[in-house]
Amino acid sequence: MSVTFGTEKYGLKVGTPDIKSVGPLAFGPEGILFVADSVGATIFAIDVRDFISTSKSDPIDVDNLDTRLATYLGCSRDDLFIRDMAVHPSSQNIYLSVIRGSGTAAIPVLIKVETGGALSEVLLNGIPYTQTAIENAPAEDDVRLENRVVQGNREGEEMTFGNGISLRIAKDTLRTVTVTDMAYVDGLLLVAGASNEEFSSTLRRIPFPFNGNSLLNSLEIFHVAHGKYETASPIRTFVPYGGDTNVLASYTCTPLVHFSLSGLKSQTHLQGKTVAELGAGNTPLDMVSYMRDGEEYLLVSSAVRPLIKIVCRDIDQQEPLTQPKKPTGVPRQTLSQQGVSRMANLNDSYIVMMQQNDAGNIDLRSYNTAAL
Amino acid sequence: MTTERRLELAWSEHQGHECIRIQGWTETELHELTGLAPSGLGQRLVVLPSEFIKAVSHIYALQPLLGSFKTDGTAICFVPRFPFLDGMNYSLIVGSMTEAKDPGTSEVWTIKRPTQTGEATTDVLGIYPSAHELPVNQLKFYVHFSSPMSEGWAARAVHVHRTDNGEPLNDVFLAMEPELWDRERRRLTLLLDPGRIKRGLAPNMEVGYPLVEGVPITVVIDTEFRDATGRPLRTSAERRYKIRAPVRVRVESANWQYHYPTAGSTDPLTVEFDRPLDYALLRHCLWVTDAAGVPLVGKESVGSSEWSWRFEPRLPWEENRYVVMVDPRLEDLAGNSLIRVFDRDLMRAEDVPANVRHAVIDFTPALSLTSPSSLD
Repeated sequence: MSVTFGTEKYGLKVGTPDIKSVGPLAFGPEGILFVADSVGATIFAIDVRDFISTSKSDPIDVDNLDTRLATYLGCSRDDLFIRDMAVHPSSQNIYLSVIRGSGTAAIPVLIKVETGGALSEVLLNGIPYTQTAIENAPAEDDVRLENRVVQGNREGEEMTFGNGISLRIAKDTLRTVTVTDMAYVDGLLLVAGASNEEFSSTLRRIPFPFNGNSLLNSLEIFHVAHGKYETASPIRTFVPYGGDTNVLASYTCTPLVHFSLSGLKSQTHLQGKTVAELGAGNTPLDMVSYMRDGEEYLLVSSAVRPLIKIVCRDIDQQEPLTQPKKPTGVPRQTLSQQGVSRMANLNDSYIVMMQQNDAGNIDLRSYNTAAL
Repeated sequence: MTTERRLELAWSEHQGHECIRIQGWTETELHELTGLAPSGLGQRLVVLPSEFIKAVSHIYALQPLLGSFKTDGTAICFVPRFPFLDGMNYSLIVGSMTEAKDPGTSEVWTIKRPTQTGEATTDVLGIYPSAHELPVNQLKFYVHFSSPMSEGWAARAVHVHRTDNGEPLNDVFLAMEPELWDRERRRLTLLLDPGRIKRGLAPNMEVGYPLVEGVPITVVIDTEFRDATGRPLRTSAERRYKIRAPVRVRVESANWQYHYPTAGSTDPLTVEFDRPLDYALLRHCLWVTDAAGVPLVGKESVGSSEWSWRFEPRLPWEENRYVVMVDPRLEDLAGNSLIRVFDRDLMRAEDVPANVRHAVIDFTPALSLTSPSSLD
């Protein structure tokens, strides 16, 4: 007897995904969770089988989330790395990607935080999932690979050399892509990443259901500093807005850059519009969009400064930055929330944030959009 | 519950899984506890990392360590979901979850997980660039280690200071989370803050380049950098550089010098650049094929200070056409590639991006040593 489940139509099959690391998270259709695994160079799409449906508009607040997670996972806070947070669209449960331990002891874990604050591990054996590679697997005859002598027989292949010596050789590519952010928009998973070699700004567009064609579908988005210098750099975080027609992206070199999603469809070289610069040492960490009284807003969290709020309409009206001035670009309001890293839309009324408290711990805090 | 008796906690195994074995229960306790369902046991006994007992005012506000209690003869074993971590203290709290107790009145028994002992074995194999001089708009450093490393140490254990007076240079590197490692976690990529390097961006105008032209620097990797087993480095490592003028010109393979081998030999083909190039990219952005486009097998190496590259074929060169292929992603130290200037001045016509798939340099080894053919 075959077991059926609703996400079969997306190509998900029951099994156990071989997840080597966890990074950015994003929810897709029907509660499918996308999990970026930079070590495995793979994106997994997982049916987390979270069948709760709620239309409540309640907040969720969890004090000392990091201490709670460290206790639950049996490690110190130094050994706990919370990589990302996403909210299940129908259950409003919060999903976290967490690395527990470091080095050889590092274990990737997905954690569900229920609306009451209870933690549970998302079990990955025997779940519906599918996956796609985020970079070309190296070809066997690619001479541009590093040859490395390995011990044991777990990897590599036996090679006998002219002098009769046999060694086990593995071929590696040292090049990796670290996924920095993801978002699902209308049948496309957008994946931003940073290479550990060349300095580029590649945004991959991966059709979902996965069809293996994602690798061709990448483009670079350039931006211009003050009308004079065109540059590209890895996207650190981005957010679709305006009914998923626009994207605001922040770059590792701090500008906020706007581009339209329709512009993404056909091009391979796109020039975005720099609409704001946040200044030295102020790398944006996360962005979220929300509606209030018919107006759409964006929140941008950054490493050292409080949250800032931008009216989306102002982005569309903003001329590309041409003159250096302070503060530069689109009008923005500084909010009182300090120490915010990750953010996500909890429901129509609340945005949930990971926020560092005075003691240095991370709390989960919900903020009513009416008060932001 | 009596507190006269003494519980003994020990590292042990239960049915092949590591566990904390808890012994010393009274007969009454054991009878009561073994009669409970696993969930009931979990309500009477709690294990947590000891450091969090003091961190919170009320221990039952925390969800205990994920795992399960198993009865095993006169012992009760706690089998964790994830392995215990070396050097950590774990505590067993005996109490009742149903009656909210304050930690002061609960019984707490603690056991320490031994710390890894053993000598440090990991070294820094190299810091790149290995050139003695860097442009002030230098973009990246690579650090190669002899063993896989732990993440999360780059910001703490890599420092840059002025070589002349020892003063630290702050905020040189871009804080990356997660850090940029190769799959083996033996090579770390450190990006210098690109916002401070790019002309016209606010960070560049506010605080300037991460490096200072004319001010020599020393890059130091401290011993505290932890390898994957948690051990520090055997010794620290450092490399010194002089800082020169910025470089903002596309990399052009036409400006390189090619030293072609002779047919019949396995002499190397050598390519000398007009400036040092990126060490990591050099290791796979250049290769040699035969006329049919099949890559040759041989040994490639990057020359001193990344000024050159050479290829020695396994089989002797024939008097045929060969091709040196260059992937246009190849960058110099400042991130200029064959395609683009890192931060391109839109007014400079010569800096318009090049539309190249691969740079291709043909050559045919000559039979004599006198005049190598030079094409393209």
